[in-house]
Amino acid sequence: MTIIFDEMYSDAATVRPHYREFAAWLSRQPPQAVEQKRAEAELIFRRVGITFAVYGDNAGKERLIPFDIIPRIIDADEWAGLQKGLVQRVTALNLFLHDIYHEQRILKEGIIPPEQILQNAQYRAAMQGIEVASDIYAHIAGVDIVRAGEGEFYVLEDNLRVPSGVSYMLENRKMMMRLFPDLFERNRIAPVEHYPDLLLDNLRSVAPQGISDPTVVVMTPGMYNSAYFEHAFLAQQMGVALVQGEDMFVADNRVFMRTTNGPERVDVIYRRIDDDYLDPLAFRADSTLGVPGLLEVYRAGRVSLANAIGAGVADDKSIYPFVPDMINFYLSERPILNNVPTYQCRKKEDLAFTLAHLSELVVKEVHGAGGYGMLVGPASSKAEIEAFRQRIVARPEGYIAQPTLALSTCPTFVDSGLAPRHLDLRPFVLSGKTVTMVPGGLTRVALQEGSLVVNSSQGGGTKDTWILEK
Amino acid sequence: MSDSSASAGHAWPCARYRVVHETHYTYQSPVSLSQQYLHMTPRSFNYQQTESHRILIDPAEEEGRDGTDYFGNRTRHVTITVPHKVLLVRAESTVALTPRHDLERIRATLPWEQLRAMMTRDRSAEILEACRYLYASPHVNCSPALERYARISYTLSRPQLDAAQELCHRIHEDFEFDDKATDISTPLEEVLAGRRGVCQDFAHLMIGCLRSLGLPARYMSGYILTHPPAGQPRMIGADASHAWVSVYCPDLGWVDFDPTNRSLVQCEHVTLGWGRDYSDVAPMRGIVLGGGEQELEVRVTVSPLPITGSTPA
Repeated sequence: MTIIFDEMYSDAATVRPHYREFAAWLSRQPPQAVEQKRAEAELIFRRVGITFAVYGDNAGKERLIPFDIIPRIIDADEWAGLQKGLVQRVTALNLFLHDIYHEQRILKEGIIPPEQILQNAQYRAAMQGIEVASDIYAHIAGVDIVRAGEGEFYVLEDNLRVPSGVSYMLENRKMMMRLFPDLFERNRIAPVEHYPDLLLDNLRSVAPQGISDPTVVVMTPGMYNSAYFEHAFLAQQMGVALVQGEDMFVADNRVFMRTTNGPERVDVIYRRIDDDYLDPLAFRADSTLGVPGLLEVYRAGRVSLANAIGAGVADDKSIYPFVPDMINFYLSERPILNNVPTYQCRKKEDLAFTLAHLSELVVKEVHGAGGYGMLVGPASSKAEIEAFRQRIVARPEGYIAQPTLALSTCPTFVDSGLAPRHLDLRPFVLSGKTVTMVPGGLTRVALQEGSLVVNSSQGGGTKDTWILEK
Repeated sequence: MSDSSASAGHAWPCARYRVVHETHYTYQSPVSLSQQYLHMTPRSFNYQQTESHRILIDPAEEEGRDGTDYFGNRTRHVTITVPHKVLLVRAESTVALTPRHDLERIRATLPWEQLRAMMTRDRSAEILEACRYLYASPHVNCSPALERYARISYTLSRPQLDAAQELCHRIHEDFEFDDKATDISTPLEEVLAGRRGVCQDFAHLMIGCLRSLGLPARYMSGYILTHPPAGQPRMIGADASHAWVSVYCPDLGWVDFDPTNRSLVQCEHVTLGWGRDYSDVAPMRGIVLGGGEQELEVRVTVSPLPITGSTPA
């Protein structure tokens, strides 16, 4: 039996130093008061309208993401190490994307097999040779990190397409400050509220050349998207327009939006819509969400898109195993954050190992996201494992497998009271002229006992994340 | 708009052509806005120089921009804002072709397995470029069935282009030209099973066969000269856009085969451009606002011009 690291307790009776102030405070709270605050939190979230659409079961229903009032606390030194690792990793990923869409040195040097890139569904041939501002492709990265032990952090995924969740990070903080203002007097908690300002600065810094006062917009596929709330929220927080494809058009080799004062030039599009839907002339012809001709303006360097088209080729699960090699290749550095050892089922020996150890492994679809289409071996029935085995055998190249990590836990309020639940952390890393981030990120928690799936789409909850300043 | 960027051929032209390509859309109701992305400008490369070219649009476009796509093909974007029920796009081009490799050299190319090994091991710029055309693409998948069909020609150690030529001939013999049997969305398996289709299907099929073996192949878009019925049989695919296949060989570069006409491409094919499959080089791709039901008519005329007095620019 592996020993599970708890964020709050080093053993059953001992609270870790950075949690001591909080634990003492919590023990002083009468149980009814805590219960009342939890009810208050739920009511406020419902009123504010922070909801999340879940695909699959109950399709079309909007749901509240459960919020837990026990914060996930990380001390300043540990965060400093994480932050260094994140900057290193995202820097290497941007260098990789620039290389793939230009000289392809990493392919020529034989570090990554070309078929992993050139036949990758996320690779966009149209981006080859295109210059993007500051050579940045992944302007906003949501890197999922888990802890498996003291100082032992692993990156699970680099989300470089349209990572979401930052609105929960901000709302969770607001909620905690409202419910427990005294906690923020007792603890030196690093602020996160300036994220929208950082994001706007970052987006403005990658405007097309020669534009001194760029117009930034947030582009959404519309209100039926599961993260529509966040799109509206970020646009409002940044003080920029929230637009859909039909609100914009191309003329004179520029992008414009329709406003009540007539057409207004758009310079930077923070797009929360997948590559395929951006431009029906270039990609999916049946897309009604995009702007015809957008790609040509983009290729001419007269509008910036964040993230860049084709950034997904770097966060694909089949490319993930190569990230440590990228760090080594582009930066000549050793990776600070660990990668989870990954079996690539496209390889014969890895496939054989995976099939022989399905009950111990986590198996993921190479192109999957949001916790859909994955198998958590230890938590699955024989029948589920057998059904998944058939899928892997039919299309081995579509799957990777990883050992089941003993994710750390944190005490969390559940029906039976306070109990340890597994969690992860998604910091949001901004790249432009520089690489910046607010301290912390979004902590997601699996609410089912023993569950390792924290995705909101799979019924996970969230917590406020505190980085304790010294 | 003549193009002089491509490397000039060393040989004298073997043919010169004037090509007129007319696309005629008739809409049921007026179109208020039309945006079109055209691949209708012949590309200049080592076997072809584009001497002159223009695209006329009725009603006239408000905006037009020339460009180059990822594969190096010439493109044009047009925006038509005049409301219209009829749209005519007329592309006029004059090209000069220079001679290509003959059959003798094809017999002496390297064994195909060697090329396959190069594709997985060699990381030179030229091989990496060819890798763009090595994998499945929107209209071309790879499958064991396609590989089995290809293997009949791709026997042990057979010279790469010799095998390609036989594959081209077999597709011509085994498949029947039938413009009612398929459309652009028909999957390759269905074409392979049904044994009928049009030039696009045959090109996609041959490309799928080659890629299933681990060999790169390009989709070629363009036109073909058709001969009057008197004397010889009329070539199929006349008076429309045509499609064929380019096969890679390290000794000779890219060599073109036309499975629809059982021929090695010499001096009767005018190239517009190339890509992984049809989707990369569709001559006209667009979005219209309004229009309702539409009718499409395409007319292509390829006329030989005298060679005398013209040296490639």
